[in-house]
Amino acid sequence: MAVASASSDMFDEIVMAEERFHGEGYQEGYAEGSHVGVVEGRRYGSLHGAKIGSEVGSYLGFALTWQCLLQNCTDEKNSKKMRALDSLVGMIQKFPYEDPTYEKLQEDLEKIRGKFKQVCSMLNIQSDFRIGTERSSLTF
Amino acid sequence: GLGQGVGLTPPCRSHPAPPGQGWACRAVLGEGHQRTVRRVAWSPCGSYLASASFDATTCIWKRQEDGFECVTTLEGHENEVKSVAWAPSGNLLATCSRDKSVWVWEVDEEEEYECVSVLNSHTQDVKHVVWHPTQELLASASYDDTVKLYQEEEDDWVCCATLEGHESTVWSVAFDCSGEHLASCSDDRTVRIWRCYRPGNQEGVSCSGTDPTWKCICNLSGYHTRTIYDVSWCHLTGALATACGDDAIRVFEESPSSAPQQPSFSLAAHDSPGWVGTLHCSASVLRTSVEAEPSLKKRPRVSFSRHMSLMARAVLPVSFLE
Repeated sequence: MAVASASSDMFDEIVMAEERFHGEGYQEGYAEGSHVGVVEGRRYGSLHGAKIGSEVGSYLGFALTWQCLLQNCTDEKNSKKMRALDSLVGMIQKFPYEDPTYEKLQEDLEKIRGKFKQVCSMLNIQSDFRIGTERSSLTF
Repeated sequence: GLGQGVGLTPPCRSHPAPPGQGWACRAVLGEGHQRTVRRVAWSPCGSYLASASFDATTCIWKRQEDGFECVTTLEGHENEVKSVAWAPSGNLLATCSRDKSVWVWEVDEEEEYECVSVLNSHTQDVKHVVWHPTQELLASASYDDTVKLYQEEEDDWVCCATLEGHESTVWSVAFDCSGEHLASCSDDRTVRIWRCYRPGNQEGVSCSGTDPTWKCICNLSGYHTRTIYDVSWCHLTGALATACGDDAIRVFEESPSSAPQQPSFSLAAHDSPGWVGTLHCSASVLRTSVEAEPSLKKRPRVSFSRHMSLMARAVLPVSFLE
C-alpha cells in the first residue's frame, strides 16, 4: 500500500463513508431482522404446533371415547373396530411431540390422519368436521 | 356414461340389430350419482359393477334379473373419486381421489364393505389405481409425478415403493400378465416400463431387506406429441396400447431379439452396447374410419383403413376382410 499521508486518510474517510455506513447499516439491520425473525418464527411455530396438537388431540379424545363406548360389545364386527381404535391410539401415543425436527413428522401425521379416516368410516361417522360446502373446479 | 348415469351404450346404428347380434342397451343407471361418473369396473366374478364419481362416492351395483340394483354406496373421500378397481381375488376394492388419498375396501360374504385402509402417501391428486394380476399389490398414479405401490404388512396397508422418473402427471398404469413389469404413461409424453427386482436377483440390483426394488428399464419417448392419458398391456400378446391427446392410438410390441432384462427403444434395428432388445411402434392409427354395412350374410363386409387393420392383426386374434 502506498504511504498514506494524513490528508489521504481524511479523504479516505469521506470517500469510503457511504460504503462504511452501508456496511454498518447492514449489520444493524441484520441483527434486528434476526431478532424480529426469531420472534415471528416463534409465534408462527407455536400457532402451527398448537394446530397440530389440537388436531391430534381431538383424534385421541375421539378414539378413547369410542373405546369406552364399545368396550362392552364383544362381537366380531366390534373387534375389528376396536383393533383399528387401538391402532390409532397407539400411533398417537408414539408420536414425538417434543421434537419438531423429527424427520418423519409429516409422514407419521398423514398416517394418523389416514387411520382416523378409516376408523370414522368403520363407525359410520362423517370425518369432515368442517361446515359449509367447497365448490369444486373443473377436473378430469 | 351418459350425463350422470352409468349406461351400457350401443354403437351408433341406424336400425336395431337382430337378436343375438350387436350390442343392446340393457340398463341405464341414472339414479346413483349426482355428478360425472368417471370410471366403472366389473368385479372379477362379473356380478357387481363399481362406479366412481366426482360426487365423492363409489356405488356398487349388483346384477339382477331385470337390471342392476345399488347395493351400497362407499363414502369417505373428500372430493372427486377418480378411479376404482377390483383386486383379482374379488375381496378387495381400491378407490382414489383428488383428495390425494387411496382407500382400500374389503367385502365379506354378506356383501358388507369395510374400509381397511386410507393411504395418504401421494402429495397430489391421484388419477388411477390398478391391482397386480395375481398378488394383492396395488399401484396408483398421481399428479405428483409418481407411481406408488402398496401392500398389506402386519395387518395394515403401507406404501412399499415409489416409482420416480416421470416429469409430469402420471395418468395411468398397467401391469403385464405376469405382474413383473409395470407400464406408466404421463403428461410428459413418455411411457415408462418398470421391472420388479427381488432380493437376491441375478442382475445385482440392490434391495432393502425383503422388499423388491422397481427400476425403470425402458423409456418410450419421442413417439407421442401430447399427454398420454391411458396405457393398456395386453395379457395375451404382450402388446402395449396407448391413448394420446394427439388423437392417435399407438401399439407397441417387443421386438423378437429383445431380452427380458433390458428391453429398450430404438428407431432402427441396431444394438447399442448394453441394450439387447427393442420395443418398436408396430402400428399407429390416425384419423381412422371404420365402415360396416349391416348385412344378412354370415360374414358381413367390414373395411378398415390400412393402419387399423395392421393394428387389428397385431392385437386381435381375428381375421378381417380387407
